[in-house]
Amino acid sequence: MIGSNALARRLVAIAGIAGLIFLIVPLVIVIPMSFSSARALTFPPPGLSLRWYEAFFGDARWMSAMATSASVAFVSSLLALLLGGLAAYGLRRAPVRGEGVIEANFVAPLIVPTIIVAVALYLGFAKIGLLGTYVGLVLAHTVLSVPLVIMVLTVAIRSFDFRIEQVAWSLGASRAYTIVKVVLPNLAPNVFAAWIFAFISSFDEVIVTNFIAGTWDTVPKRMFNELILEINPTITAVATLLIAFTMLALAAVAVLLQRTGKLRPTML
Amino acid sequence: MPSRTAVGFIAPLLLLMIVVFDAPILYMLALGFWSKQGGFTTEHYGNLLEATVYLKVLASTLRISLIATIANVLIGYPLAYWMRSLSPRAQLVAIALVITPFWVSILVRTYAWIVVLGNGGIVNSALINLGLIDEPVRFLYNELGVTIGMANVLLPFLVLPLFAAMLRIDNRVLQAAASLGAPARTIFWKVFFPLTIPALSAGALLVFILSLGFYVTPAILGGNRVSMVSNLLDKLINEIPRWEQASAISTLLLIVALAIFAAYRHFDRRVQS
Amino acid sequence: MKRRAFTHLATAGVAMTAIGGVARAQVKEIRIIEAGGKSGESIDEYIKPFRTKTGINCVRENPNPLGKLRAMVESGKITACLFELGSDSAAQARGLKLIEPLDWDAIAPQPMFPEARTEFGLGYQYFSTVMAWRKGVKEPKSWADFFNTKDFPGKRVLPDYPQYCLAFALLADGVAPDKLFPLDVDRALKKLGTIKRDIAVLWKAGAQPPQLLNDNEVQYAISWSGRVAGQPKIAFTFNQGMFDLSYICVPKGAAKEERAAAMKLLHEMTVVQNQAKAAEVVSYTGCSPELEALLPKDKINEFPTTKANKSVQWQQNAEWWRDNGEMVDKKWEQFRLNL
Repeated sequence: MIGSNALARRLVAIAGIAGLIFLIVPLVIVIPMSFSSARALTFPPPGLSLRWYEAFFGDARWMSAMATSASVAFVSSLLALLLGGLAAYGLRRAPVRGEGVIEANFVAPLIVPTIIVAVALYLGFAKIGLLGTYVGLVLAHTVLSVPLVIMVLTVAIRSFDFRIEQVAWSLGASRAYTIVKVVLPNLAPNVFAAWIFAFISSFDEVIVTNFIAGTWDTVPKRMFNELILEINPTITAVATLLIAFTMLALAAVAVLLQRTGKLRPTML
Repeated sequence: MPSRTAVGFIAPLLLLMIVVFDAPILYMLALGFWSKQGGFTTEHYGNLLEATVYLKVLASTLRISLIATIANVLIGYPLAYWMRSLSPRAQLVAIALVITPFWVSILVRTYAWIVVLGNGGIVNSALINLGLIDEPVRFLYNELGVTIGMANVLLPFLVLPLFAAMLRIDNRVLQAAASLGAPARTIFWKVFFPLTIPALSAGALLVFILSLGFYVTPAILGGNRVSMVSNLLDKLINEIPRWEQASAISTLLLIVALAIFAAYRHFDRRVQS
Repeated sequence: MKRRAFTHLATAGVAMTAIGGVARAQVKEIRIIEAGGKSGESIDEYIKPFRTKTGINCVRENPNPLGKLRAMVESGKITACLFELGSDSAAQARGLKLIEPLDWDAIAPQPMFPEARTEFGLGYQYFSTVMAWRKGVKEPKSWADFFNTKDFPGKRVLPDYPQYCLAFALLADGVAPDKLFPLDVDRALKKLGTIKRDIAVLWKAGAQPPQLLNDNEVQYAISWSGRVAGQPKIAFTFNQGMFDLSYICVPKGAAKEERAAAMKLLHEMTVVQNQAKAAEVVSYTGCSPELEALLPKDKINEFPTTKANKSVQWQQNAEWWRDNGEMVDKKWEQFRLNL
């Protein structure tokens, strides 16, 4: 901190803490609400119960939405990781003509407003009959996850010393062998981080899904429609489970990255 | 490595992107020039100029995005500045707290505001119990509610890069200024703040771009009284199937977003260099 | 490496296609896209006898935006051979050539109200748009009262659909129900503008008005009758309400066999006994003139088409909305901007 004006410093601290509180207040509120015994949204809850968790796990529609979300997130994140990983490696290891344009294309889904992606995919998928299909849903989620994979992995591959690979080749290792035995183990934490990011991004996706999913119900899509229809505390239970799941996944990433000393650079 | 192999690595993803991203976007752009009878037309764009209401919705979107961006800067800058003054360990905790909501479903965070700010919500009950107000304050179902919701969702996008840029500012520069006898306020405004302007601009532009496409927050916290372009598009696509008109509006939005992105790139490069 | 990546992609692709694509040899199942909510559940009362007689199952999907119908028809992938549409949407869909004529010989309907039998749709359900309020507030007797926010103070929730909203403003402004159409849109919007400070929310989903009334976020609402009927904290009146018909249509290009099966389900929708069962699920009524005698006596006032209720209401004019919807939508958007 510059200077030593105590009052200014205190004001900055207050503003900073207030900002932090503003940021996390939604999360802090939702968790206790999910254990409320009341139907109405009163805070603090008048009593504790697990009824909204029972309502969630006892509802076949929520369970099927959960299954769809999990399977779409699983398949699309793996697809994004596989294709994105290969492409990131290709981009960083060999100059291709138009590299800048290609990379911009890969991260474009993050920059183009999501509503436009939703509109474009709706129209395009309607034309070729992919609208409302599982394949369409998986492909759309893959495209939306690709930018995260590309961004995480291009940075990681750039910082990985190319000479190590060259040594492996000079010792007679094939390209594929080098990637599997040398590059991948070294980048494992980053690959894992990229996969988790892709998974969470798919698991959370609501706008494009709402447009193109047809009768496929994912957890966020169901939540969105329930929120518009009526305020049902079951959603707080779903939300808490989602928060817990996200925290666990991020903690796993953090621990892995911490171990390899990559936590700080990845977080920023 | 020969270039041909590199193409082999890139081609599968490129193929996917072309089929599932580029082609649909191009198709959408083309559809904006498609007439009902088939064939080329500019009527959907002419429509935009004739019935200016769609342009006004776009303007309203820009205005709300601007308000949300300003709110973000006002909350985010002090937060990042304060984080810079923390110990490295405390910084890590603060970063974690900033990042976590970033990964928690936007629906969850939007929903929470109903609980916090509704007529019977926490804030209103507290204010009534304290005797400060007689009737609940209307936070929700208006622009205020939408702004609060958007600022909350977008804050990490501003704070993280801004904080990273502030960390890069060499303390010795500031110490040098102090040793020359400059007062703290002068050092902040003449030395520190100018150094953060590129990162601040880049972050603010990023927040602005993301605001343009907001859909969930206005739908839930706006009570349909707040017009934003994404909800208009939803209507033109899903309810009244006037896809060609929706395409024309999307194209316009895309151009605005890309123009702002170009500005963002400009500032971002200055941050990197 | 390149080849392997492609093989992976191909395998994944094949696996996904197997999940996604469903081959239909003979009709064992048809699909209907309906409006959702209790109204959608009531369709089960028609599906049950249909399944018993034909051995064919019918799966319900919702909701039923017009965009979904257009997407289905334009892609040529007709996944549902029946599609529920409000009267104005049905008229619009017909204009856009998205639906095809019904086979009334195959339906072989039992007696029905004449307006429910049209070339392109079977009006299977009457519903009303009415004024509702939270019990305990001053009771409005007419739309003039509803729009009089000085003597009837409180927040309002209105539909974000001009076709369920504008005409009421004209009634409040003194236009007679039989003189409503052609609708004076500007006059209606001007009247709506006089209460804009009290419009707290515009609703999109039928479940919202009862929710907001129950939570005391608003005190007065324009709502669909079936959503507020039987709610302990809410009162409503059919007086000066608008009754409307929801039609079941066949998307253009539906498979012949499915279409034939679908006609048998449509027949069940004209059977008065089935309609009586459906009316127990939701307080809307079917298309049979004989239905009133079979309705539950204790709830008789909740139904849109009993003699007493139908006579104080007026009917939606779908043709006018088909021809003028586009113009009104723009003005409506403008109105929302000025809220």
